Amino acid sequence: MIAEKRISLARIEKINADSIDDSLKAGAYNGLKKALTMNPEEMIEKFEKSGLRGRGGAGFPTGLKQKFTRSSCLDCEKYIICNADEGEPGTFKDRVIMERDPHMLIEGMIIAAYVIGASRGFIYIRGEYQRSIEVLQKAIEDSNKNGFLGENVLGSGFNFNLELRLGAGSYLCGEELTLLESLEGKRGYPRIKPPFPAQKGLWESPTLINNVETFSHLPAILNEGLDWYTSLGTEESKGTKIFTITGRVQKPGFYEMEMGCTLRELLFDIAGGMKDGYEFKGALLGGAAGTFVDESFLDIPLAYETLKARGATLGSGAILVLDQETDMPSLLHNLMDFFKHESCGKCVPCRVGTTMLTEMAAKLKNEPELIHKMTKEAHYMAETSLCPLGQSPILPLKSYREYYS
Amino acid sequence: MDKKQVSISIDGKTIKAKEGSNLLQVARDNGINIPGLCYHKKLSPTGACRLCVCKIDGMPGLTMSCTVAVKDGMKVIAFDEEIENNRKHTLDYLLAEHNEEFDGAYRDEMKELVEHYGLDKPENRQFSPIWESLNYPKDDSSPVLSYDATKCIKCFRCIKACEEVQGKNILSFAERGITKYIVAGFGIWSESECDGCGECVQLCPTGAIVEKPHREEIKIEKPDKKVITSCPYCGVGCQIELHVQDGRIMRSTGVEGVSPNDGRLCVKGRFGLDFVHSPERLTTPLIKKNGVFEEATWEEALQLIAEKFTGIKDKYGSKALAGYSSAKVSNEDNYIFQKFIRLAFENNNVDYCTRLCHASTVTAMLKSIGDGAGSNSIEDFETTDCLFVTGNNIIETHPITATYVKRGYQRGQKIIVVDPRWTPLVKYATVWLQPRLGTDVAILNGLMHIIIRENWIDKEFIEKRVDGGMQAFETLKELVANYSPEETERITTVPASKLFEAAKIYANAPTAMIATGMGMSQATVGTNNVFSLLNMCFITGQIGRERCGINPPRGQNNVQGATDVGASPVNYPGYIPVGNDENRRRMAKLWNVDYEKLDPKPGLSTVEIMQAVHHGDVKALYIMGENPVVTDPNQNHTIEALENIDFLVVQDIFHTETTKYAHVILPASSFAEKNGTVVNSDRRVLRLRKAVELPGLAREDWRIILDIATHMGVNLGEYSVSEEIFKEIAEAVPIMHGISYERIEKHGIQWPCPEKDHPGTPTLFLEKFNTPNGKAKLFPVEHIEQKERASAEFPLIMNSGRLLFQYHSATMSRKNDTLNAFANESYVLINPEDADRYDIKEGEMVHIESARGSLKTKARIVDEVAPGELFMPWHFSEAPVNALTRDELDPMSKIAPFKYSAVNINKVL
Repeated sequence: MIAEKRISLARIEKINADSIDDSLKAGAYNGLKKALTMNPEEMIEKFEKSGLRGRGGAGFPTGLKQKFTRSSCLDCEKYIICNADEGEPGTFKDRVIMERDPHMLIEGMIIAAYVIGASRGFIYIRGEYQRSIEVLQKAIEDSNKNGFLGENVLGSGFNFNLELRLGAGSYLCGEELTLLESLEGKRGYPRIKPPFPAQKGLWESPTLINNVETFSHLPAILNEGLDWYTSLGTEESKGTKIFTITGRVQKPGFYEMEMGCTLRELLFDIAGGMKDGYEFKGALLGGAAGTFVDESFLDIPLAYETLKARGATLGSGAILVLDQETDMPSLLHNLMDFFKHESCGKCVPCRVGTTMLTEMAAKLKNEPELIHKMTKEAHYMAETSLCPLGQSPILPLKSYREYYS
Repeated sequence: MDKKQVSISIDGKTIKAKEGSNLLQVARDNGINIPGLCYHKKLSPTGACRLCVCKIDGMPGLTMSCTVAVKDGMKVIAFDEEIENNRKHTLDYLLAEHNEEFDGAYRDEMKELVEHYGLDKPENRQFSPIWESLNYPKDDSSPVLSYDATKCIKCFRCIKACEEVQGKNILSFAERGITKYIVAGFGIWSESECDGCGECVQLCPTGAIVEKPHREEIKIEKPDKKVITSCPYCGVGCQIELHVQDGRIMRSTGVEGVSPNDGRLCVKGRFGLDFVHSPERLTTPLIKKNGVFEEATWEEALQLIAEKFTGIKDKYGSKALAGYSSAKVSNEDNYIFQKFIRLAFENNNVDYCTRLCHASTVTAMLKSIGDGAGSNSIEDFETTDCLFVTGNNIIETHPITATYVKRGYQRGQKIIVVDPRWTPLVKYATVWLQPRLGTDVAILNGLMHIIIRENWIDKEFIEKRVDGGMQAFETLKELVANYSPEETERITTVPASKLFEAAKIYANAPTAMIATGMGMSQATVGTNNVFSLLNMCFITGQIGRERCGINPPRGQNNVQGATDVGASPVNYPGYIPVGNDENRRRMAKLWNVDYEKLDPKPGLSTVEIMQAVHHGDVKALYIMGENPVVTDPNQNHTIEALENIDFLVVQDIFHTETTKYAHVILPASSFAEKNGTVVNSDRRVLRLRKAVELPGLAREDWRIILDIATHMGVNLGEYSVSEEIFKEIAEAVPIMHGISYERIEKHGIQWPCPEKDHPGTPTLFLEKFNTPNGKAKLFPVEHIEQKERASAEFPLIMNSGRLLFQYHSATMSRKNDTLNAFANESYVLINPEDADRYDIKEGEMVHIESARGSLKTKARIVDEVAPGELFMPWHFSEAPVNALTRDELDPMSKIAPFKYSAVNINKVL
């Protein structure tokens, strides 16, 4: 029977998150020590070869992003940002890492900073994550005291300062360009792209932005080596992924799995199957900005390429399990209302479109054919909107139309 | 460095453009009118309206053209069925959240697009309106504009107008998503910092933000005409477009793409022009009979004036006559006025209010560098690395110049403010030096002491471009040696550390400019103040290069021009001294008169004229567009003089505090009723154009002067239109030789412009200074304690100045309800310590008294003034600050100390 495979969460059962000594005993910062003996180019090559892709949802190759940011300019100021504004409904994987093994994240960030040549980093964290904030704050202090952060990291001559920045409840601020605006102290509106953060990010400097989970893979790749890491997962989806399961299953929660496991394995072997009296009807993969799937997906490997081939997405790893009692039109209405509520209103298609979609979704129960009009509008929005928020409603709508109408 | 020229294609049309330029702008510049509502060429691209979609070869899907930088070989499709359908869809969306009500009072860019796409017909729309259910608010609280969120398309143009263009940053969105709307400050427009400049009105593409004045009357489609002219207020010279309807000015809009203002205006230029149509305008000549003004015909008035002027000249000699010209009238008016004084009065007794503002600045600059005008262009206020602002409340007195400064600040410009009083610019200042009043020379000598001690001087500049080179420098060095930081701190109260910081920034900036103002010039040591400033400029080499120099922004729309064209007791038009025989011959030849007719002796200056009236030496005075009762120092003395004068003619557009004492009042023309030219603060010769008819029997100023001359039997020349006068000015004034109406039809030209093909001169002194040997001259000066001092009887020092919302003696500005709604009340600023000491509470009426006179006003308790010092705006004649000031003059420039009067203050019981 399949079992969890833990990289990001490897130490969580073994340590007290508030104790750096615990973490050190369990191997924290060994990857950093190794990194400091290597040259950055060599490491970028390693991360490229590892096949690690962004775990925030977009799945962009991590090594390539590092390479772009590093090569933007050699001696200018650069920044590292950790996107810890975990806001996708049903997603709580980053929170687990931050609350239970903060040094895993910090170590990953220091390695990335060393790789691209940044001397300052920020963790932009969801303001509601009170416990994560406390744990990280202490961990940063401890890491500083132990010489992993600050001036002359472990005597290497490399300087890196890390600070926490709190979000204030906006889903959109998890979008990386909006996050930059917010971090600069401005209102959270998405920026025009290009330039990309690798060219001009925070305060117009090259900036590397990665998700918490992504950073937390870097130490292991250095510690355990490429062969080990690339042996995990599928052809195009290496390593592991944390899935957060909600819905009427026996054991909802977070599970770190090797990429390529199937939904059936995950839900029935790992999460204990459906609660008594409930039947699996399908799932919403990847949160509000995700896709609906039905029973036909149960045996498809959960990997970027296999899901993409079927028009679905892995997204943040959130899995909302649907059953025979799930009120599908209400669920869709809820999702649309979420987008409407979170739309910043900067661009017309998203501002007006999310409002219209919500209005239509409210009538969906009685007028199921509205789904076609909704999909059409969402398609226009995806083509015309400024940022990923307005481009997202098409994902759940199109898949809903396909499997649930 | 100039960007590379590249070639792109849009819809198959090949277009040349600069690499990296904005695709939408390039398309529009080439006649391809891609729609778009959030884009404006003055603003950074926003990408909000999503109407400028296009397709670009090699880029997936649709792209917003406003967010694309042009690259060589780029192939763009701007119009095809898919794109147009997409645009139509977006507009349809916008319509759903939009109240389409339209009252015709503004241009509605959205409405134009809606009609273009046929969406004005309901059958072509897909979506029903949702805006009514969104409970959008309205904000009608501002005196000058109203905001209606139901008509707002949330395009960001107003927010960016306020932030990026005007540097004010007052507007933002409240709420989020579909319910968001614009707010000023914390939510109520009238309680925000909004000062009513109306930039947001100008850039709003719909009817969301619209000006209030004339909202009911104005029909944007049907003006009688639109006239571009120069703003009548301060010396920035903003170009305004007047919307004239039924013979009245309904609206004033900034002219985009034209210097000096590139469309920007302040509250006065946009909302302060109602005075033109005020029922209080003078519309007929008035003759005082038995103490009462009676309406008269022009013929009666002109005959009486001619008779009196000639009679007094015959009886007492030509020295018994004098005239005040005006900074508020055109070059043509001023030129004819000074010609009148020199040929009809046969003396040089002509001066005007420049004597009261920048005479000392001009005197010092003429002696040191040979030109009294600003050395830089207004644009340089944005691009210079360091701006040293001394005695100049630039945000209130030159609001549009200040927009350039604020934009410079956003780019990282270092700003040093020297002012005894807090001014709004302090918010932007890297360092603020707050010396006590009257210690400017000391603080500047102190700064030079540090600059020399730290060896931040520019030796090469001193050797090559300063008269006497290092030897002359040694004399200065010796003098400033006594102004150690400690000694300077003792005199000025400015901490030594701040002096060091300011000196370091100014001296070491790659480029640095100075803006000096009334705080420096209106002093008995005004000339010395400016000498000292120039000395600092020379030893650091911060002049004679682009974006370096010294600038005295001018307070009125034609202060610069009036002196340029000869309204001066010492100079003929073009700064040609009257005392020189050759110059007299040249002028006599040009004017076709015997050269003996031209008086070789310099005439009396403004305050000297009033003193001569008081002594009885001047018996007749001809005042054009000035109000000396309010503007001259020592008001009681001025009133005494005018009460006893034999004959006073005042030519103005309104009754003023001065017309009361006139024997004849002549109704003249406002800026809007005449053709002509003015010269602004950066030496730009700009057009005035007639927009409306003269009220009643009022006449253009130059025509009145010619009429008086004719009645006196003096021929000043034949002119039928103002352009003919300007041709003569161009002949007389070497620095304007190359300028003609034709050349300044669209854009002004900065003098010197000696030839017809000369482009004008944005920066002065690049090659040499305008002194006889081409070098700058150092004038080391010592700090002198004021004669007037705080005493037991008069323990406080009164400073005075201007406000954004009113203007000088308020003859024009206070005739506008809009401006009065912002500020219409006199007050005195008093430090909390002093308020305690004299037991004065906020808002209480106080009695203020000097050795010369007294007034009553309201107290405002703020720490914007230092203990021991007070400040009053001088616009309000019911509390005339000049009742307190004295007419002791700066010996070199004859300017009076308007900003230093010892007074006492008592609560009115």
